[in-house]
Amino acid sequence: MKKENKLLSFLRDNTVPIMFVVICAVCIPISGFSASYLMNEIVTRMGRNIFLILALLIPIMSGMGLNFGMTLGAMAGEIALIFVSDWQIWGIPGVVLAMILSIPISVLLGAFCGKILNMAKGREMITSYIISFFMNGIYQLIVLYMMGSIIPIKHFSVKLPRGYGIRNTVSLLNMRQCLDNLLAVRVAGVKIPVLTFLIIALLCLFIVWFRKTKLGQDMRAVGQDMNVARDAGINVERTRIISIVMSTVLAGFGMVIYLQNMGNIATYSSHSQIGMFCIAALLVGGASVDKASIGNVFLGVILFHTMFIVAPKAGAQITGDSMIGEYFRVFVSYAVITLALIMYETKKRKRKSLVAQQLQQEQEEASGT
Amino acid sequence: MKNTRRLLFRTAAVLLLVAIAACMMVVGRGHTVYIDNKTLEYEGASYPAPYRATVYVKGERLSTLAARERGMSTVIGQRFSMTLELIEEKGQDPKTVEISLKLPYSMDGVILNIPGYLAGLPQEAWMSEFVSTPSEAEMQEEAPGAEEDILAGAEF
Amino acid sequence: MNETLDKTNLTLGDRLRGFVDAFGLPRLIIAAFLLMLYIAAPFVGAGFWMQISNTINRFSWNAIMVLAMVPMIHSGCGLNFGLPLGIISGLLGATLSIELGFTGPMSFLMAILIATPFSVVLGMGYGWLLNKIKGGEMMIATYVGFSSVSFMCMMWLLLPYHSPTMVWGYAGKGLRTTISLEGFYDKVLAGFLQINIGTLSIPTGTLLFFALLAFGMWAFLHTKTGTAMTAVGSNPTFAKAAGVNVDKMRMLSVVLSTWLAAIGILVYEQGFGFIQLYMAPFYMALPAVSAILIGGASVNKASIANVIIGTFLFQGIVTMTPTVMNNMIHMDMSEVIRVVASQGMILYALTRKTEATK
Repeated sequence: MKKENKLLSFLRDNTVPIMFVVICAVCIPISGFSASYLMNEIVTRMGRNIFLILALLIPIMSGMGLNFGMTLGAMAGEIALIFVSDWQIWGIPGVVLAMILSIPISVLLGAFCGKILNMAKGREMITSYIISFFMNGIYQLIVLYMMGSIIPIKHFSVKLPRGYGIRNTVSLLNMRQCLDNLLAVRVAGVKIPVLTFLIIALLCLFIVWFRKTKLGQDMRAVGQDMNVARDAGINVERTRIISIVMSTVLAGFGMVIYLQNMGNIATYSSHSQIGMFCIAALLVGGASVDKASIGNVFLGVILFHTMFIVAPKAGAQITGDSMIGEYFRVFVSYAVITLALIMYETKKRKRKSLVAQQLQQEQEEASGT
Repeated sequence: MKNTRRLLFRTAAVLLLVAIAACMMVVGRGHTVYIDNKTLEYEGASYPAPYRATVYVKGERLSTLAARERGMSTVIGQRFSMTLELIEEKGQDPKTVEISLKLPYSMDGVILNIPGYLAGLPQEAWMSEFVSTPSEAEMQEEAPGAEEDILAGAEF
Repeated sequence: MNETLDKTNLTLGDRLRGFVDAFGLPRLIIAAFLLMLYIAAPFVGAGFWMQISNTINRFSWNAIMVLAMVPMIHSGCGLNFGLPLGIISGLLGATLSIELGFTGPMSFLMAILIATPFSVVLGMGYGWLLNKIKGGEMMIATYVGFSSVSFMCMMWLLLPYHSPTMVWGYAGKGLRTTISLEGFYDKVLAGFLQINIGTLSIPTGTLLFFALLAFGMWAFLHTKTGTAMTAVGSNPTFAKAAGVNVDKMRMLSVVLSTWLAAIGILVYEQGFGFIQLYMAPFYMALPAVSAILIGGASVNKASIANVIIGTFLFQGIVTMTPTVMNNMIHMDMSEVIRVVASQGMILYALTRKTEATK
């Protein structure tokens, strides 16, 4: 009897990952991809995306929900890479320089985002979502109109022929996969980008360590209950801003890693969907709006990307139309986020009404005696 | 006291990052080097190109250049080294020359003339800037349209 | 605070500040910007009347979708970022009406009739969901919209449509991304009693249709049910105590909003001349949301006047900036200005302290 209950609650708590395992299990044989191809793709994408997704963990810790504003960090990373390729800095030095350059931009954007989110407590997610749109406008203003006219950009491979603005795609051919290829190891035909994974491991260690620091503890306290945290003498507003700034800076680094793997920047669209996909991947791994672990990130990336690789081919095999699979994976990404948001909100409401009931009971008892 | 220490610490961190960035800007500057095996005319004198020149960069054979041919290599940083295996006339034994030189920071593409360099001429004789002409497609690229393709970011 | 003070004691600066506070700085900037555009338009050679009629035209296309925001704001469900759900019902109505072989004005009527049950059913499901997650409506609404649009992307390919005007010619199945409405309900409202004076043209029919719906909405808000709905929005505990079924009122508002969105997209299509499927409805909620906010609405307060003013200002900016900016500085920055202005307006509304707590 008890065992059954446990199983049931396990199923309920892990609905999304289980659903994904089922989808992947059905789609993999249909798609007909070989195991080595799949492994290769998944390992590559793990190296490409895990850093970005890890950037989401810190705001979740401080109770600010899914940081849709990580797009801001992605923009910072892109701007840094545009400069680096204009100056023709190649290879690993280029990557390192881009990361350093992205820091001040990320900090600035993150602080702006954090300030605004402090003004919109309780609706952080929708606000951070709109901020990402708003900033996309500013990003276009800077990259499309100010770069080359006000901000010096010289190189013809970066600048539009009209004299200002950046090209639709900026090639990163000279730093393409330079991180991934250094120290890369081949195991049974699967290329493992050891250095990239080392960097990811470093970040994981940092996050584990950070949770135990004073600031990390403060963030968790703020995430639990802002008022209690404030009474305990924590500067809630500052802590929240720091958490968003950290997330933005990490997202900036993550974007540089992501783009060095891709080998080119789609200047006006690379960042636009990145937040959505990262969030979907994290949620697929079993995270929720108020709780996420490093394990969720890894599981999520593997499951989400398996679906992402397999769906178009499987869809084409079943319906004879490759677009079906493309739409299917976009739909699944959105559906997963919707589902996670709904589960989070219903849980929050349940908890609230439970607290209210308890309060009422206590009051009744108090008045009864 | 605690505040000044924190400030000091932060300034040091920022300075360190700026220093690393500056290093990277010097170390990471990429150049494309074009190696010309062409007869050079300089101040009235003529320096004939050798019959064959085999270029090795970092121990790997880049290409074998006949007279009037051009090889290409990329290098990160300003120090460019290569090994040349020269055959002056057909049938002669090859002789090996080690070349190591400093590239100017400002040049994206650098053209090196082998006979000019070997003759010990001044730098401006054998080194010149390669100015690439953008292709037709590159010249005609327009700014992105107002319509944003939502599926464009589907690559992940 | 200011009301308690004697008005005569206020300096001009105080009054100005009060006015700016009440109106909202971003709103003022946007209105001033539009005014500037209109003043600049004749000087840079862009025909003034041409611009006016463009603005009125676009106003007539979009006003109903902005009107769709009103019921949900009134019932306290916040801004309806889930507008695409209603748009999808409208698209189903439009495509089914054509599929069933209706043409001319009749196809418009049938599209509305067919879209209605879809929007009611979808709206009820959506309303049920929003009742379960009170407090987190806006974010979930956004993603309900996105999920439904991407789900329908698959459906447009898979549903057994056959009408040759709508499906891809070579495959014989799967709907096209844009479908021309020529021969169906292209300009069916706009052409009704159209007024043409020189370059100025006014789509009277569409404006009348909007006026009818807007008046209906205004009248509804003054009925017993309407006031109950407003009460639910402004003070749910009080409304509950007064015997109003809160969940039912919220559900009604969501259904109403979804239905208006469905009608809104049909009216938009008849003006625009094409049905746009697939990803087209994806971001359609955002212009409507920012339009009503620019018009003076907030996250929990909106009137018909807000709809009219907001749509006019928003569409004014959309139509005016490209021509005027292009002529003035030879840079087409209209896209950037539109994004920054509209998203900035939404951000401003979301961060108002008085409205942030519920």
